Amino acid sequence: MSAILLDALRYLGYILIFPGFLFCFLTGLLLCGIDRKLVARMQKRVGPPILQPFYDFFKLCGKETIVPATVTSKTVFLLAPLVGLASLVVLQLFIPIFSFRAFGAVADVIVILYLLLIPAVSVIMGGSVTGSPYAGVGLSREMVTILACELPLVLVLLSVAKTVGNALDTGLCFSLTQIAAFQAKYGSLILRPSMIPAAIAFLLIIPGETGNHPFDAAEAETEICEGMLAEYSGAPLGVYKLNHAVKMLTMTSLFIALFFGGIGTGIEQLAAAMGLTGGAAGMVVILLDVLVMFLLCVLTTAVGISFVHAVTARLKIEQIFKYYWTVVSGLALISLVLSWYGF
Amino acid sequence: MFKKLIEESTGKSPWLFHINAGSCNGCDIELVSVLTPRYDAERLGFKLAGTPRHADIVVVTGPVTQQSLNRVLRAIEQVPEPRCIVTMGSCPQSGNVFRGSYAIAGPLSKYVHVDVDVAGCTPKPEAVMDGLVLATKILQEKRRAMK
Repeated sequence: MSAILLDALRYLGYILIFPGFLFCFLTGLLLCGIDRKLVARMQKRVGPPILQPFYDFFKLCGKETIVPATVTSKTVFLLAPLVGLASLVVLQLFIPIFSFRAFGAVADVIVILYLLLIPAVSVIMGGSVTGSPYAGVGLSREMVTILACELPLVLVLLSVAKTVGNALDTGLCFSLTQIAAFQAKYGSLILRPSMIPAAIAFLLIIPGETGNHPFDAAEAETEICEGMLAEYSGAPLGVYKLNHAVKMLTMTSLFIALFFGGIGTGIEQLAAAMGLTGGAAGMVVILLDVLVMFLLCVLTTAVGISFVHAVTARLKIEQIFKYYWTVVSGLALISLVLSWYGF
Repeated sequence: MFKKLIEESTGKSPWLFHINAGSCNGCDIELVSVLTPRYDAERLGFKLAGTPRHADIVVVTGPVTQQSLNRVLRAIEQVPEPRCIVTMGSCPQSGNVFRGSYAIAGPLSKYVHVDVDVAGCTPKPEAVMDGLVLATKILQEKRRAMK
């Protein structure tokens, strides 16, 4: 009986604190702050403090929440941001942090593909019940952006699955745990030449999925007043901003988990070299894992989001679609074909 | 503790909404210059919001013409509490050179409570920044006064 209780407590801890809600909240917003600071420095500005997203979030919590008279369903209007946040937190639980996996065995890449859609769908639902014309334009563009990102994302995941499946002789391997275990044994996937186009394609998908420049036609502040968020105010708006920040964390950590998983063995060797044993070694390894993961996420954000943001202007929606279905899908396809023939 | 956190944050993340109430575009350009790399108001957390629902501070430029009066008042009502109203330039404050014209409904302070007036035709970016920082302090006070 007490064992079940202990397990329940442990899982509750996973969900609420460590790879779950609190961790997502802190690291996601921190990542967002670093991104804003980096963009500002690249534009020769001083930039906001790194903690700015935290200030924004808490300020929005203290604002009045206006529910416009045009809103057709108050429940959907207020719950949509929370549903998006919940699915992102669940997603974060499934992504392995090198050797640490909270719920690794119960989900694979396909589940991640579905869960990635829910935040976008929640923002579409929330926007559509407001009846605002800005939201209407925004949500039609958001749907096109989702469609555009989905094809290359599936191709990238397929090529990863095929490469790992070839090596393990299981055909296609969709299990994230096995992908992580494979990389821990045989080195990161990025070291294989056939995987480099897929990695570049994934790097280009990140700003599209998170709705960052130059793929932010759906949330263009200067053009359609942040589209679907136009009628939101107060705490729900704050949760949407949090969703955006957590999505940045999710996408970058997924990138690290898929292509740089081999770094985990280095961390374990480092802990072993320090002469640690037993429970202490486990704790140190987890701490180092999280630290290295976060640093790599910052690096990925700097290259994949901040730099791209600073040097590009917003694309039109049809340009986004064309870009993803030709250039990015082409890169992913090269990897898929190469991995299919066993390179 | 949570209340204190919100109070602190309110002063550090003021989002602006800009209403042009018949302005000559001079003040509008100066407001944008405050956000450029040279003055970079974002280092104090300022951000230009697209809709009044996201805003904390409303910046009004122009002499509030008869045509724009109702729109200005409606837009200000859309801003969630706590909110601050800043007039920029001499026009919304006194009417400036348009004072006495049949087309002018201003000054703005006849209709709503104005928190900060930034005078000048047009005010310097430094003056605008000063006025906006003053407005964030007032915003913080208003948040403190809320329950």
